Amino acid sequence: MSRLEQQTFDRKITRRDLVKLFGASAVAATGIFGASNKAFAQSAAHVVILGGGVGGSTFAKYLRFADPDVKITIIEQYPEYITCLRSNDVLVGMHTLDELTFNLDTIRSKYNVNVIIDRVVGADFDQKTVRTQKGEVVSYDKLVVSPGIDFVYDNIEGFNEQVADTTHPHAYKAGPQTLKLKQQLENLPQGGTAIIAPPQNPFRCPPGPYERISFFAEYLKKHNPTGKVIVLDPKDRFTKDVPFKKAWERLYGYKTDNSLIEWVSGSDGGQVTRLDPKTNQVQAVVEDFQADLINIIPNQRAGKLAQNLDLTDESGWCPINRHTFESMRHDEVYVLGDSTIADAMPKSGYSANSQAKVCAKAVADTLKGESPGRAIYSNVCYSLAGQNYGVSIAAIYEVRDGLIQPKGDSAGVSEITDKPAQPILEAVYQKNWHREFVKDVFY
Amino acid sequence: MTNNTLRLSGLCLSLSLFAGTPAQAQDDAKSSSITAKLGEAMAQQCAPCHGTNGQAMTEAMPPLAGLPVETFERAMLAYRDGSRDAVIMDRVARGFTDEEIHAMAIWFEKQPYKAWQNTELEEAYKASEAAKNAMGGQQ
Ligand SMILES: Cc1cc2nc3c(=O)[nH]c(=O)nc-3n(C[C@H](O)[C@H](O)[C@H](O)COP(=O)(O)OP(=O)(O)OC[C@H]3O[C@@H](n4cnc5c(N)ncnc54)[C@H](O)[C@@H]3O)c2cc1C
Repeated sequence: MSRLEQQTFDRKITRRDLVKLFGASAVAATGIFGASNKAFAQSAAHVVILGGGVGGSTFAKYLRFADPDVKITIIEQYPEYITCLRSNDVLVGMHTLDELTFNLDTIRSKYNVNVIIDRVVGADFDQKTVRTQKGEVVSYDKLVVSPGIDFVYDNIEGFNEQVADTTHPHAYKAGPQTLKLKQQLENLPQGGTAIIAPPQNPFRCPPGPYERISFFAEYLKKHNPTGKVIVLDPKDRFTKDVPFKKAWERLYGYKTDNSLIEWVSGSDGGQVTRLDPKTNQVQAVVEDFQADLINIIPNQRAGKLAQNLDLTDESGWCPINRHTFESMRHDEVYVLGDSTIADAMPKSGYSANSQAKVCAKAVADTLKGESPGRAIYSNVCYSLAGQNYGVSIAAIYEVRDGLIQPKGDSAGVSEITDKPAQPILEAVYQKNWHREFVKDVFY
Repeated sequence: MTNNTLRLSGLCLSLSLFAGTPAQAQDDAKSSSITAKLGEAMAQQCAPCHGTNGQAMTEAMPPLAGLPVETFERAMLAYRDGSRDAVIMDRVARGFTDEEIHAMAIWFEKQPYKAWQNTELEEAYKASEAAKNAMGGQQ
């Protein structure tokens, strides 16, 4: 089935199912019935989820665990979801995009979730309805928003969305840009230079750029040993930098004259200020660079949908109640994942999944008139510094002094040891983790 | 968690809209199940590696479903005090107290030992209920 056919198919099913499952009031085109929906206690509450990525899909599944009867609808703009997780692998041929592609079929059938494939364009918080591009108006009792991130292009002259879509893919959202960057790496001339410019904090998947740098180096080592990766970083530190740099030393000659990786920190003038897409030149604070491949990963803020729905504050991210992930800006609305301000928790798929589970229980409790239980979150980010060399960061979290903070003595990155098994096992865990993780999200 | 109790609590919801927050007595009466609930909530955090409800049957990360309480506890305590070699479980275990580890152990013991894909939602509800009862019995 083609993407378009799938979409039409999904649509037929969902319109019919929606009315069958939830009655006409839930799909009221006018929204008139929306407000009165909750007052009629005989019908179960309707929880509507915007975005069927990691946060949204996990939320739907775990809300069903917490409440067999609640009505659940996901509105997701695309019929298929390509995980960013492991999309760096695609750049070096360890995975194909197809292997990273998932849909909401199991969420729909196993967990009795109504799935609408359509783009959300607005919400009316008084009437408690959301509007889609195709003109659907869906009423909710609780709204959950997990829209991911949006890219910001205003700090690098000459670099914008159009440039990223054509000549200089950021490839920080898995899809066509990923394949384009893969092609560019393969086309790098012998002895050529690739530049990778990571973003400023905070951004989705903090180790993502550094895993990519490692993969580039590993690729060069094998196919283009006189080539080089120059990293122009606006920051002085990055997540897991100690184990990452140790791996670079062990694998890619980092800190030697023949290093495949040269890392320029923010203090050393690594911040990129300008790109000339035609001549492939970048200006950084320290000096100008000429390269054969330039991969700039833009700065980020909360997903466009979160901005449009007025869920963001002046920081560009969504403030939430740390115990429940309820929005601090609008009642009966919850925000999950990358878009949120979650303090010590990184913007990772693991975090989005963790938050979704706590939030699902909180929503179920609230609907039952009970007060939500204690919030305990977790995150483990595995990255590969080479195909058989993993590095990780892990923590359990709780809310303390009003902030989400590591619980007990849990927070830590991979220790540097002389045990050769450690990084190999971490790599095995990383691969195993992805297989299990996507099942916990989509199956 | 039967359908009846849920319907009832649905009714409570509509009442509580008018009557303010639910009565304190309800919380007290449920204090034993709160720990079980927390056990479940914490155990669910293990799923990205160990599978939904601990029911992953893959090569590197072992399933936790159906593990005897003592086995789970012994492993977690050894990871926590560093006496067992670990890749990441030492860091994870240091995030939990004895009581929290115990609550997770009870919850995992009640989960069916088979792959999550082959498990019906109904079985999961039953396992969750069994874990809550086991926890209640403890207190
Ligand atoms: C290269 C790379 C590698 C990564 N590796 C890892 C890793 O190893 N481990 C890890 O834990 N995390 C990793 N991540 C991070 C992970 O992908 C994100 O943190 C995670 O996807 C966040 O989940 P989310 O629900 O917030 O957003 P998403 O998963 O992005 O979901 C958002 C969804 O909302 C939908 N949407 C947005 N707007 C609308 C609208 N208006 N209407 C309808 N639908 C809408 C989108 O289509 C999308 O499906 C990686 C990221 C990158 C870029």
